[in-house]
Amino acid sequence: MTGERRDRGVALARAARAGDTLALHELLDHLGPYVSRVCTPIALADGPDAVQETLLVVFRQLRSLKDPQALYGWVRAVAVREAVRIARRASRARPAELADVPAGGDPQLATDIDDVLARLSPEHRAVLVLRDVEGLDEQSAAALLRIPAGTAKSRLHRARTSFRKAWSA
Amino acid sequence: MTEPTREMDTVQRLHVMAAGVRGARVAERILPAPFEEVWEAMAALDFLPDLQRVWVLRTDGDRIEALARSRYGFRAHLRGFRRPGWCWLQSRFLIVGLAAAPAPGGTGTRIALTGGVRIPTRAAVVPFGTLRELTSAGDRLATRLER
Repeated sequence: MTGERRDRGVALARAARAGDTLALHELLDHLGPYVSRVCTPIALADGPDAVQETLLVVFRQLRSLKDPQALYGWVRAVAVREAVRIARRASRARPAELADVPAGGDPQLATDIDDVLARLSPEHRAVLVLRDVEGLDEQSAAALLRIPAGTAKSRLHRARTSFRKAWSA
Repeated sequence: MTEPTREMDTVQRLHVMAAGVRGARVAERILPAPFEEVWEAMAALDFLPDLQRVWVLRTDGDRIEALARSRYGFRAHLRGFRRPGWCWLQSRFLIVGLAAAPAPGGTGTRIALTGGVRIPTRAAVVPFGTLRELTSAGDRLATRLER
């Protein structure tokens, strides 16, 4: 995300906290795609529910956010937590069986990537999103997920191994 | 990574907006009429509590500015956004939020209403009687569509 876009979000959050519901409206337009980008790879088919739950929490608690500069870190933390919660609730968590990983060169590769993702647990997908999509280091990803750094590292290793198998098999 | 396959619909968005407005309630129901018909009636805004007439002053893309007159003679200068199935407006003393989306299963239209008398300059509405008024507004809309 560009600095300009980030500044825009922070300015909207400040205006919304000051009582302007039109700024709140623009903030919803602004945050929606970002929340979707975090939630969808974790919650998969339940992505839209996770996005709505995240935004409900964010809008309800916006008033209590101490520092609007921390908006994105806070929204990301809520989005990951809600996406994992929704995915778990939907009982879609099935651990990856590497033997089931699809073969490389398959014309249905896009679907296969989804298949590999779906076989990971929501927690594994969350680590993958935080490290490889959001670019967080292991320590930060572990802190956000409230797990030890070693656990984050092993989850990431397992998730990446599943993907590597998918391409090289 | 997987791309989003389905966006939140306008009714879900309205619940999110209402979560950011202290005291706001959401009245939701399904009307047995097609979306286009329902939205046309909703977009006129005159089924809402106290809004007798509404004049659109100007539009620019999805931005809208309107003047509303209440049954008691008060005037409200409303500013906000209007899109298909969606309207969000605020004045100094009013907040209005409307949403409509085709009902799941393809029969009828799901609508949601929120807002009320605004606590001036704040993202808050006077909480008393809000849900009752919004529910009555939904009843009025349903009656009009039955005619």
